[in-house]
Amino acid sequence: MLAWSSALAQAPTPQQIQRGADIYERNCSPCHGARMQDPQGAFDLRKFPHGERERFITSVARGKNQMPAWGGMLKREDIEALWAYVVSDESVHGH
Amino acid sequence: MDRCKTTLAVLLLAAGTANAQTLDELKADGQLTDALKTDNVLTYGMGYHLQRYSPLNQINRNTIKRLVPVWNLSLDNNWGEQAQPLVYNGVMYVTNARHTVAIDVGTGKQIWKHTLDWPADTPRVVCCGVSNKGAALYNGRVYRTTLDAHVLALDAQTGKELWKTKVAEWTEGVSLTLAPLIANGVLIIGNSGAEYGVRGFIDGYDPETGKQLWRRYTIPARGEKGNETWPQNNNAWETGGGSAWITGSYDAALDLIYWGTGNPAPWASQSRAGDNLYTSSLLAMRPKTGEIVWHYQFTPNDAYDYDACWELILAELKVAGKPRKVVMQLNRNGFLYVLDRTNGQLISAKPYEKVNWATHIDMKTGRPVETDIAKSIREMKATEHWPSTRGGKNWQHAAFNPNTGLLYANTLHEGRMYKHLETKPFEKGQRYMFIENLPLPRAAGEPIGHIEAIDPLTAEKKWRVPLTDFQIWSAMLASGELLFTGKETGEFIALDAATGKQLWQFQTGSGINAMPITYTYKGRQYVTVLSGIGGLYWNINREALKDRVPVGGSVWTFALLPE
Repeated sequence: MLAWSSALAQAPTPQQIQRGADIYERNCSPCHGARMQDPQGAFDLRKFPHGERERFITSVARGKNQMPAWGGMLKREDIEALWAYVVSDESVHGH
Repeated sequence: MDRCKTTLAVLLLAAGTANAQTLDELKADGQLTDALKTDNVLTYGMGYHLQRYSPLNQINRNTIKRLVPVWNLSLDNNWGEQAQPLVYNGVMYVTNARHTVAIDVGTGKQIWKHTLDWPADTPRVVCCGVSNKGAALYNGRVYRTTLDAHVLALDAQTGKELWKTKVAEWTEGVSLTLAPLIANGVLIIGNSGAEYGVRGFIDGYDPETGKQLWRRYTIPARGEKGNETWPQNNNAWETGGGSAWITGSYDAALDLIYWGTGNPAPWASQSRAGDNLYTSSLLAMRPKTGEIVWHYQFTPNDAYDYDACWELILAELKVAGKPRKVVMQLNRNGFLYVLDRTNGQLISAKPYEKVNWATHIDMKTGRPVETDIAKSIREMKATEHWPSTRGGKNWQHAAFNPNTGLLYANTLHEGRMYKHLETKPFEKGQRYMFIENLPLPRAAGEPIGHIEAIDPLTAEKKWRVPLTDFQIWSAMLASGELLFTGKETGEFIALDAATGKQLWQFQTGSGINAMPITYTYKGRQYVTVLSGIGGLYWNINREALKDRVPVGGSVWTFALLPE
């Protein structure tokens, strides 16, 4: 628990953001748009509140509205990497 | 006692006949040359030819003003309705991703309902909307496919499950959404999943037992003819796509099915040099064995998601004064193809929408002549690309009227800024595309699609109605003088087939992405369509329409109010 809390406090590493970018590009961009642009029918992730990390992780793992649950395929650390990417400057401006 | 036995046998025979769809009945469905049996709609496409045409004309230009709903039945489903209903002996069979339902045509009351229970995360491997396009009927049974890659048979009278066969492992990226085809006594299906790097296939099953009779992969294995069109120094062919996700047509006289295959995987083409047979192709196959008799590839080394899965419409056309048995397709790549269906010879290939990736189709080689746009895309540069990966037309099926010789279609007018990204290693069950695909600015008033009547041999438009709000994702039905189609905003509409003028509309309870049918019941013409927004809509217009168009599937049936 202590280790978990301290991990939370740490800023995401560039490797984590890159891992998130790779997952996003492969699995998320088809609906949420390349680099989060052009989300069309899916949730516009540029508008996701940056303070709601747990809500993001739960939604991805369990699914939300029309989005399927990804928890069977992505591990917790994958979804955390995804979060690191989504709230980073990298996501919209490219990588 | 003997008399009792005889009576019982006769009764059983009569009961059997009342619930059996024979191969002869299936062949006669929608055939104008045979005694027309307009009470039934037994096949996806309203006939093996997939013409989606009926000569019924009680509902016509003059009477359409009296067309009113006679019943509506909820389908208890929020995923969307994309199916074409079937009708046999006064009973309608409807599918969606969750349910199969039998309905009394006369009253609109539900007779039975069968519910599927696929794992909640199955939609993860469904690229383009959780849906099902319909059932097949044969020999007293209803056949359908499931999202989690099974095919099953239900008793048409009771809805009882008779057998269920696992076709593939859904977690590996395979899903099934198409309506099966029964051809020459074989149940035939094809897979979805090219966006997940599966190796596409078309399967034949024994309708009686569910036993697999054959599997034809759309990508030949090493050592098989066609594999030489894939790199020999990597295993791209094993994850090369080529789904087969729309029901094929069937010529019973030639005993050939015509099945379109999907795009290669990944969309970005760096790792799969070569033509990539048999992706983005038409396969003419024997239904009993799956043997490929001939093939035609529309888009060699497809770099644009130009599926060739759309309806392959069979008809007889006069070409240079001579009648020819043809197969036609408004291909996603923007060209309208007409081929001789006896041998695969290319007769015509004309652009029907704005195309910038190729100048034309070389009639000698049958191959597209690619432009610098194609070169730029292959060089991984962001490129303005027409038609976009969604195509000059998407899956919304066209209709063909054999009397006018015209195709009627809902087409798309869209280019996008398209870019190939660097491909990464294949991971089972995950997306395998590697592209960026962003919108282009659109000039004010520029249409986003059209409803149109098209000459198959010239691709000239007899008339064209521009769409400016939402593209139409519903199939076209040609009935006598009218065309029926539906809008995502819920309007079920009828147009004058001669001019494209809208003559009638009815606001259904949700959006329409489905295929209308028409038939007779007790001498009266009916029209039925499913309403229920879903499918590809979730990817495209959900945000734009979420406050205007509620979800919720239902069946709407219409007939003329007596004078």
